Amino acid sequence: MTSIIWYIREFLRPAWISRFLTAKTEPLVTPPYFRDFPVTTENECTQCLACMMICPAPEAIVVVKRGGIWRPEITKGHCIRCGLCVEACPEDVLASGQILAIKKEEKLLISGTYHISINPKTCMGCGNCSVVCPVNREIDPSLRSSGTSRSNEVIMRVDTGQTKVFHEEKCTGCKTCEEHCPNNAIRVARVVEATEGGSHDDIHPHFRKDDPAGILCRA
Amino acid sequence: MKKTVDISLPVGPVHPLFKEPCRIKCETRGEYVLSAEVELGYVKKGIERIMRGRPWQEVMFLAERVCGICSVIHNYTFIEAVEKISGITPPERAAYLRVIVNELDRMQSHLLANYSYCYTIEHETLAMYILNLRETVMDQLELITGARITCSYIVPGGVRWDLPDEKEESLRVALDHIDSELRRFVRIFETGPFIALRSKGIGILTKEAAEAAHAVGPTARASGISVDCRSDHPTYQALGFTPVVRQEGDNYARIMARFEEVFQSTNLIRAALSRMKPGSVRGGGVIRAGAIQYRAEAPRGELLYDLVTDEYGRILEIAIQTPSIMNTQVCAHEMLTDAESAADITSIFISSDPCIACTER
Repeated sequence: MTSIIWYIREFLRPAWISRFLTAKTEPLVTPPYFRDFPVTTENECTQCLACMMICPAPEAIVVVKRGGIWRPEITKGHCIRCGLCVEACPEDVLASGQILAIKKEEKLLISGTYHISINPKTCMGCGNCSVVCPVNREIDPSLRSSGTSRSNEVIMRVDTGQTKVFHEEKCTGCKTCEEHCPNNAIRVARVVEATEGGSHDDIHPHFRKDDPAGILCRA
Repeated sequence: MKKTVDISLPVGPVHPLFKEPCRIKCETRGEYVLSAEVELGYVKKGIERIMRGRPWQEVMFLAERVCGICSVIHNYTFIEAVEKISGITPPERAAYLRVIVNELDRMQSHLLANYSYCYTIEHETLAMYILNLRETVMDQLELITGARITCSYIVPGGVRWDLPDEKEESLRVALDHIDSELRRFVRIFETGPFIALRSKGIGILTKEAAEAAHAVGPTARASGISVDCRSDHPTYQALGFTPVVRQEGDNYARIMARFEEVFQSTNLIRAALSRMKPGSVRGGGVIRAGAIQYRAEAPRGELLYDLVTDEYGRILEIAIQTPSIMNTQVCAHEMLTDAESAADITSIFISSDPCIACTER
């Protein structure tokens, strides 16, 4: 009996009745703060590859040259919408939800150092890593498809049947080599730090446009 | 005399009342359940193997994807574990923000558990009310972190971004709304005679049995065991946390314990909001080599991360122990055994809030 009285009281509440009579499903709108797939802004990409370095999903973001300009391209099926690439991009090329605005306001920063390790037991010297490396291609465009080169300025190249690392400090951590290694022999350790209140110019020589040491940003 | 036949009664793996696939095999005599066994293995992901050899910025997202319902606590525990290895202390404001997001996640998880219990005992009205209230919590999570489920809000050295004043105000309004609405729902639950018929005295787990089987989380706390890893956490200690403990040990107590914990979570969030001072939310710091066992309180109980990192901060070895494995086993061997009716099997099982995706990983 008490439950019947309870139900009568519950359904005679003015709030319930008005809701029942005027109930209308609100249209689905994406709120502005929703962290959606990153989109590119008007800013110019400098191919620093910070977005590829930080991306946790395999091959979700790739920096490609289309019509003479570098642009980051996102594969929606692979992207997990974490928004880290938006935080990592020093040129504010990417935007997602409110992350870009928050990043500018709070001066969010992601910086890193990179270490290449090659397992000599599993490396068979195929040279895939040296060929696909975007920094290698910038430094020595004449790098052969076998991964061999005459230049000692490249990050790594095949030397006497083994891949050898020459300039670890030039690595941008984009992990393209990792993804193209058939044996998982090459690994790029990305020691990443998330800070705030800093500037991208202090942290990595590759991000400096005016610095001659900046290899990729010589636009 | 009527002959009674022993029947092996399978429930699941596909069952309309289960959130995730799992199979309960019951030996019954008529309606009486003689014994029960939970069979897992339908959603194994092998996620710990995928995590190996990866840096924190990848493992953090994999850890979140261990469980879809309680993703924040996995992120929280993993990051605090690697922070403990590397000696990183987050700024005070970031520590409180972590608690806020974690408690919001706990609220939505408890509300979902209670929704599915009410749905199981066929009180759909209350179930839908609770599910609707859960949306308020999810909206607040989305407002703060930008995503509803996989928030990825906690990073080593702090949190992703700050909580501005206007969002804080919206959070306070939502908390008041949740408190007032949930008080009404709890009254419905407490005073409903049909709910009491299907909940009180059903699926009893005694304190001794819970201790012997190492039950954790609200399942243990509803049986009178005061066990909560949040009591050992410095931020929660600063907020004056004390666990919710009930003595009855039946379905009713487990659901009421979760309702009380939702109220407790709103109070914890309010306390954290009032104690927060403006300041930095990201202290920075890189992950170093080391090994650790770190435990924290997930919505379902104790969650343990056992991990080893190398000098570049990559995860070499990782093992995750999730709370549901203890709770599903204690449910099968103590709560379901000697259940009076086969109709209570699902409600008893759901009242222990099993999370199969967590358990199998």
